[in-house]
Parts: sequence; structure tokens; C-alpha cells
Amino acid sequence: MIKMDNLTKRYGSTVAVSGLTMDVHDGQLCVLIGPSGCGKTTTLRMINRLVEPTNGEILINGEDNHSSRPEVLRRSIGYAIQSVGLFPHMTVEQNIGTVPSILGWSKPRIVDRSRELLDLVGLDADAYAMKYPHELSGGEAQRIGVARALAADPPILLMDEPFGAVDPLTREMLQRQFMEIQRRLKKTIVLVTHDLDEAIRMADKVAVMKSGTLVQYDTPEELLSRPADSFVRDFVGADRALKRLSRIPVTTLMQPAKAVHRGVPLNESDFEGLPRYVWVVDSEERLLGWADTSGGRDTASWQVEETQAGRVSVLENASLREALSHMLGQGVRNVPVVTAEGKLVGEVTLKDIEEATAE
Amino acid sequence: MPGQGDSSSRLSQCNCVALFGASLGLLSLALPWLSIRSSRLAAGDPVWLWSAVGPLVAGMFLAVWLLALRAGFDADRRRSAATLGAAGALLAPATLIAAGIGSTQLLESAEAVARSSLSAGVWIGLLAAYVLVHTAAQELSARPRLRGAIIWTPIVLIVVAGLAGAYSDTSLAREFAGNEDRFVQELGRHISLSLGSVAIGTCIAVPLGIAAARSKRAERPIFVIASTIETIPSLALFGFMIAPLSALSYAYPALREIGIRGVGTAPALIALVLYSLLPIVHNTYVGLKEVSPAAMDAGRGMGMSRTQVARRVEFPLAAPLIAEGVRTASVQSVGGTTVAALIGAGGLGHFIFQGLGQAAPDLILTGALPVIALALVVDIIMRWAIARLSPKGLRTEAVT
Repeated sequence: MIKMDNLTKRYGSTVAVSGLTMDVHDGQLCVLIGPSGCGKTTTLRMINRLVEPTNGEILINGEDNHSSRPEVLRRSIGYAIQSVGLFPHMTVEQNIGTVPSILGWSKPRIVDRSRELLDLVGLDADAYAMKYPHELSGGEAQRIGVARALAADPPILLMDEPFGAVDPLTREMLQRQFMEIQRRLKKTIVLVTHDLDEAIRMADKVAVMKSGTLVQYDTPEELLSRPADSFVRDFVGADRALKRLSRIPVTTLMQPAKAVHRGVPLNESDFEGLPRYVWVVDSEERLLGWADTSGGRDTASWQVEETQAGRVSVLENASLREALSHMLGQGVRNVPVVTAEGKLVGEVTLKDIEEATAE
Repeated sequence: MPGQGDSSSRLSQCNCVALFGASLGLLSLALPWLSIRSSRLAAGDPVWLWSAVGPLVAGMFLAVWLLALRAGFDADRRRSAATLGAAGALLAPATLIAAGIGSTQLLESAEAVARSSLSAGVWIGLLAAYVLVHTAAQELSARPRLRGAIIWTPIVLIVVAGLAGAYSDTSLAREFAGNEDRFVQELGRHISLSLGSVAIGTCIAVPLGIAAARSKRAERPIFVIASTIETIPSLALFGFMIAPLSALSYAYPALREIGIRGVGTAPALIALVLYSLLPIVHNTYVGLKEVSPAAMDAGRGMGMSRTQVARRVEFPLAAPLIAEGVRTASVQSVGGTTVAALIGAGGLGHFIFQGLGQAAPDLILTGALPVIALALVVDIIMRWAIARLSPKGLRTEAVT
């Protein structure tokens, strides 16, 4: 656990961080967010002592971070920054092996570890190990920056806009991939960003800062539904209800969907209970489309409106925001939820979403 | 207007550098090739190529230069470059050999003290051949073997012809033969003085460059002093050195014992060391300043100590630029050492000043040509070494 207690940093007469107190629990991803100049990066850099606080202290697992030399402290804390800062004269493998080599690991162990980490961040070790940074795209460089931060398997990771310098599409891909890694590794992470969507998407807890002070420290859900003051309300924006939806998986509101197997005749009682429109699936429960039931019991004669996977349905790991977007886009009031293989698992209705978001 | 379009596209396709070189080559044939003098110091009579080696050989020269001119208009860039390269590679040694053989023939009937000097035609011809080889080498960068052949053939031919004695009757060769022992001695002195001063200069300039990059307070004075030194004419700097060093050596006779006097090696060495400072200080400063701050922040953030950041990140990244500074200083120093002969430090300048004193142009060339060659050789070797030793990830940048 990282415990920051009454942390203050002054540069001459300007106060960068003032009386900041917060805890980051083990295995959590804490996002520091706020407008530029709010002191978020200064706070991050005080944890690994790239900046020394004027006042206050930081305890890491109960131990003052001043109890060992700063270099020794930093070697146990992963560090990734926006501009990545890969060493241009070293290969990818040597870059990733930076901390292990300072720690005196053996050559073969460093090589093995580099390859393992390249696999982890989804890059082919054979193709990338011997490349130089100038041969990498922005997204690849940032992934290697993350791999380098993880090299000596530090329990804590500090990240300063680690997905900043790439296009939005790549950024989202990197975020998803990193969340996947974090689910497996359960590091204690402090991440600085100015991108609220990134914070909402990734954080276990969000710390909103304003001119050096901590304004609110809460889960993303709490932050969006109960902003502490007008600053946070403005900061999270008028679309905070929508942002909240992006935190909620469709499965939380999903209900069983009425579906009919194509070509299988219905008996009278089943037919009576059907609504006007039903989903149609094949013998393996894969969603085919929807049909109008007014045509009678003979399902074989129904006109099935084909649906294209992904256009009318949403995947079961999607968020309510995506489900809502589908409904608005298609002009429908409910949307089927399918597995990656296309099997129908349920549906979400607009009414349920409305009820869930009402404050 | 198809005709007009054709002619303009043809004009844009022709190789202007090659056309310039070929025209220069044709011009060289119209200039005197040799200058025959009744004695070493007498005034000379001009001799043209056709009278030196006969109209047949002169006609062959004319034919090859015309061929080169035509190749300059060739739209097929590769065929054009190959022709130009071959023409240049042959014309350079042919020009020198024709001058050598012409000298031998013309002096056969003359008195023993008569001299035959190379004239404008030879020099312009060599320059023109160099222009052809240079443009061909650039065009053929994608074919390294052909390019190598075009560059090395003339050099090898010129050296082989020289060893075979083809030029031994030119005045230049006679001046050289008359001074051979002295030449070897002065060449050695020139090399040790110029490169030795850069070695010492590097040891002083690199720490100064580091200090300038690290400390805002040190930056200005270091650059003001180094730049001021660079603006002092070399002759004046050598002169400045005489008075204080003489005074010192009179005050402390022990200094005289180890060779520190107002004239000689000591003032020359000090002046050359001072001259070498600016390029190295400057490049060290720029090299360190250009190291990406992100890389250094990442290094420190991952737990490198200050020395580890310097050793593993800063210096490897700055090294190619620092080495470039040493290269600049070395080339500059090879030239600067020439003047050192004036204050008794020796070196190839000795022949230049002696030749100036005696109004013997070929003696001047005996000193001047090797200085040029030495500067080129130092430049080539150091460029090659820098390209080889630069970290691989930086090589793309280091070459440009």
C-alpha cells in the first residue's frame, strides 16, 4: 500500500502540491487526474523521489520511502512515461533489460525476461528483440515502455500518461491490453492522465486534483454519480451519466430474451405467450435475426429479418454505453447480447437503462 | 508543341555537374600542359599537350572528353554515370602520366638543370576528372562495387605510375627527390604536431564541454574564450606565444631544458591545442544537450545513479557528435600546423615557406599537396571510424 500523508511541495512561492493525503491499496489502479498544473505529475514523482517533498511523508508498505537511497527505491518501482524515453542506442531487448541489468541479473536471465515481457505486451519476441527504437511505431514504443517498467517485476508501477502520444484508436487498444495485463499481474499502479475517459475506463479509484489539492478520491462510479463539488461536476462534464454507463457491463442489466428456433414448429401454448416480435436462433442458439410473429405458428414460413453480428447485437463484455449507442443508432428499444461465437444470451432494454441511470 | 516539351525534359534530365566537368576537361586541353624552364628558378615557356605527347594522344584525350560530354546528356542515368565514371577514372591518371612522359621527352634534348613544371592544363584536367568521378560515384551509390572501382582505379593507377617512375622528370618530382629525407622527417613532425595537439585538446575540451552543458554559469565564459581564440589569425596566435614563453624560459631556465622556448614546438603546440578547443567543446556541449530529456528522466526514474545515467545513456548518445568535433578539429589542425613552420616548429609548412622564399613554385607544392592529402586522409579515416563505432541505433543519424 502507498500511503501519502499531508504531502506538500513548494517551488519558491508557488505551491505545486498542498497537504495531499491519500492511500493507494495493493493491486489497485489509482488514476491521478486534473487540469494541467494541478500537481498530479509532481505527486507521482514524489512517490519515487524524482521530486522531494517540502513537507509530509510517503509510506510504501509501512516503510518511509526515504529509508533507502533513491536509486534503490526506484529500482523496485516500475516507471513509464508519455514520451516513453526508450534509449535510442539500445535494442528493444537491452531497453527492457535496463533495470535487471542494473540489479546485476545474468545475461541469459535478462534475455529470457525480455522475451517473456515482449510476449506479455503482445509483440513477437523474435521480430522485436533486436530492433532499435527508431524502427518502432508510436504504439509499439509505448508497449515496450510498459514492458520495460515491468522488467524487474516491481510490485508498484508509476505511469505518467503512458498512452498519451498515440492516436485514439491505438490508445484504446493499448488501454484494453494493459487492463488485461493488470487483471493478471495485480500491480499497485498510480497513473497520471488528463484524459477522463481513460480514467473512467481503467481506474479502480480516481483522484481528482485542482491546483495542488485533492478534491475528490473515489471510485469512478461514485465520482460520476456524486461529484464532490461544482469543480468536479464541471470536470467530469455534462455527459457524466453516459460516462457512467461505460463502467457498467451489459450483463448487469441483461434479461433472458425470448427466442424461437428457426424451422421448429411451435405448439399453441408457446405461441400464445410470444410478443409481436421475437429473436430467431438456429439449432446452436446462434442469433439469426428477428421475426414478426403475426404470421402464425408455422415458424418455417416466417420472414426472418437477418441481423449482422455486431450491427444489431452487442457482445456480452460490452458496456451499457455501447448498448445504448446501438439502440439510438438503430432506433430500437432493445438490443440482443451475444457471445463472441454469436450465441444469444439475453437482451437489454432501453427502459432498464433509463431506470438504472435515474438519479 | 511536342518538340518544346521534349527539349525541356531533355534539359532537366541531363547531368549538369557532368556537363560542367566535361567542359572543364575540354578547356584543359586548350591550356598549357607543361612549362619548360632553363633552370629551377628561371621563367618558363608554355608547352601544350599536343606538342608534349603528340597529336595522336592529344586526339584521344579530346575524344574521351567529348564522350563524357555526350554522356552528360544521356537520359539513362545509370549508363550515363557508368560512362562518366569510366572516363574520369581513366582521364585522371592519363593526364598525370601524359605530363610525366611529356616532361621526360622534352628534357631529353635540354640541359641537365632544365625543369619541366606542371601547368594549368594538368591541374584543370585533374579537377575535371575528379568532378566526373564524384558525380558518377553519387549516381551509383546503389551499386557499391562499380562505385568502388570508379573511385579506386584512378588512385591505384596514379600511385602505380608514380612508383614506376612515370613522373620522375617533372620538376615536382625532382624537388621531392632533392628533399626526400627532409620530407619524411617533416611529414612525421607535421602528423605528430597536428594530431598530438588534437589529442591534448580533446582532453581539455571534453571536460570544458561537459562543464558548459551542466552549468549555466560556466557556459558563457567557456564559449566566449573558445570562440575568441578561434577568431585570432593563426600567425598572430603563434606570435602572441613568443613573448610570454621567452620570458618564462628566461625566468625559469629549467623550462628551457625541456624545450619550452619562445620559438619551436612548445608555442606551436600550445597554439594548435587552443585552436582545437572550440569545435570539440561545441560538439560536446551540443551532444550532451541533445540527449533526449525523456531518456534521461526514464533512466533516473528506473533507478540509475547519476554516474549510470552518464555512462549508459548520456555519453553513448553524445559520443558520435563529440567524435565529429574531434574530426573537425583534426582536419583544421592539419592545415593549421602548416603555419607552425614559421616559428620553427617544422612540419610540411617548411617546404612552403622555403619555396615562397626562393620563388620556387614546385617546392611550395611539395609542401602544399601533402598537406591537402593528409587532411583528406585524416578526414576519411575518422569519418569511417565514427560511422563504425557509433551505436547501431544512431547510425542512420550519424551518417548524415
